[in-house]
Amino acid sequence: MPRLPRADWYDLTRDMNWDFSYVTEEDVFPELLSNGYGVPKQDWWTWDEPYKITYAEYVHNQAGKDAGLFTVNNVVGRSKIFENLEPGWMAATLAHYGAIAVGEYQAGIGEARMARFGRAASWRNMATYGCLDETRHGQLQTYFPYQALNKEPRLDWAHKAYHTNEWGMIAARHLFDDMFTANDAVSMAIQLTFTFETGFTNLQFLGMAADAMKVGDIDFGALISSIQTDEARHAQQGEPTLKILVAAGKKDVAQNLFDRMFWRAWKVFALLTGLSMDYYTPLEHRTHSFKEFMEEFINTQFIDQFRDFGLEAPWYWDQLLNEMNWVHHAYHLGVYYWRPTVWWNPVAGAAPAERAWLEEKYPGWNASFGKYWDVMGENVRDGHPELTLPETFPVVCNACQIPLCTPAGYAAGYLSSPLPLLLDLDGRRYTFCSEPCKWVFEQDPGQFKGHLSIIDRFLGGVIQPPTIPGALAYMGLSPEECGQDGTNYAWAYASAPVAGGVGQ
Amino acid sequence: MALFPVQGIVEGDFVVVLVPVDDTDLMTVVAEKIAYHGIGKRVAAQDRPFKVRWNGTVLADDSTIATTGCAPMDVLEVVYA
Repeated sequence: MPRLPRADWYDLTRDMNWDFSYVTEEDVFPELLSNGYGVPKQDWWTWDEPYKITYAEYVHNQAGKDAGLFTVNNVVGRSKIFENLEPGWMAATLAHYGAIAVGEYQAGIGEARMARFGRAASWRNMATYGCLDETRHGQLQTYFPYQALNKEPRLDWAHKAYHTNEWGMIAARHLFDDMFTANDAVSMAIQLTFTFETGFTNLQFLGMAADAMKVGDIDFGALISSIQTDEARHAQQGEPTLKILVAAGKKDVAQNLFDRMFWRAWKVFALLTGLSMDYYTPLEHRTHSFKEFMEEFINTQFIDQFRDFGLEAPWYWDQLLNEMNWVHHAYHLGVYYWRPTVWWNPVAGAAPAERAWLEEKYPGWNASFGKYWDVMGENVRDGHPELTLPETFPVVCNACQIPLCTPAGYAAGYLSSPLPLLLDLDGRRYTFCSEPCKWVFEQDPGQFKGHLSIIDRFLGGVIQPPTIPGALAYMGLSPEECGQDGTNYAWAYASAPVAGGVGQ
Repeated sequence: MALFPVQGIVEGDFVVVLVPVDDTDLMTVVAEKIAYHGIGKRVAAQDRPFKVRWNGTVLADDSTIATTGCAPMDVLEVVYA
């Protein structure tokens, strides 16, 4: 039987919209799960994805991708490639797997919500593929590390991390719950697929894929490149949703949804990708700094695309540009100093040659951040590495859940005050790292005010005993799993501090 | 005497830390307790005395948490005099 060209049947099979007669529109699309923002249903029915695919094509494509990927995995598994990875890269991959793998399953829940509560049949069709995509990503990113467990037992954090109360995972869950698990389908299309996936996952997945290939980790590079091909497709659910909102006069709604999630995504990417690019990737394999990646992929390409829809850069744009100079350097210091609280071995990335690179990419780095490494390096050389380990905890932000590093921004000359921002609400004190984080919280206090940060739990008696070992146990970190210096302090002995540094 | 958590910042440091002090501690003791977590560890020591600053005001050495009216989780800065 002759087959019809796809264009002759595609619209008919995916556009199964109809008027409800036995139930109300509100019953089918409750606002909590699908906030239509008052846009008429016929407008939603114009939803048109820029990238078309049928189920048969989808299965064919995905099967081909998996065949290639598992071939690479099978070959690499029999080699010594993994054993020869440099410590910094190992740190980056362990961090990635723990932070991302199970979150992909969670994203599958989000896609499933859009597959049911998306306001148009064509959208629900695309979201179904998105749900399958995210399930695939969860499976791949737990299976690949599982295959290498005999080489690095902490790769089990690819599965374990999400089920713990490790502080970074509390931050990740807080973000992802806000973005999809506790979000409605329409808002999610703007915040997950447009803001996060179109804007940011390119940075994590394309950037890290390129770095992975350079360091020789072809397994990881092939994995995340394959994942990104799915992301690039299902991320396109955002654009038609955005167009409909703007065309219906809901530009302010779209702008607000975008602004809230763009800032939140920035904070987590500064923590995850910022450290990987500027500190964990071996120096000889770095092509761009994190700031350069941000400027090229996010600030230029993505924001230009955003402006094409008639929207504006977020109100906090200057603060974002400001933080790009310093915040991830502070986060790296924090992760290194509090390394027992993470499941990977952070490398300092502060040997003389690395410091010279940082100074070149971030002029003034030695004076503003090198000074901390000078003190820590001196303590190591004096035989007191214990002075580079924590005896208390950093206070974390009640929005992003990341330690408050405002003093670093002040000390480096980028902030006018080292003080965090405080908010007293309903008898409880909340602390924030920045105006945008406080603003995010205040946009929807009901969404956030009941959440307990790791510090709130510590002070509230949830963590027992209230000691460092008690907190590590609460985070699911046994002594064998706690992070240690990734190079056994080799950085501190590499040579004397570089010329131009402070504290020499 | 009661345990009293504050947010501590050491001048020149990069992070805000959780510091348990006692509400009867003199500010000199509070300063030492906060400084302990930063000076000599991430911040180079200076041969100068330091003070506690709260809401922009330097607190008297002989004042205590209780007498100043600080609230739990207020931000206290340790600054060089």
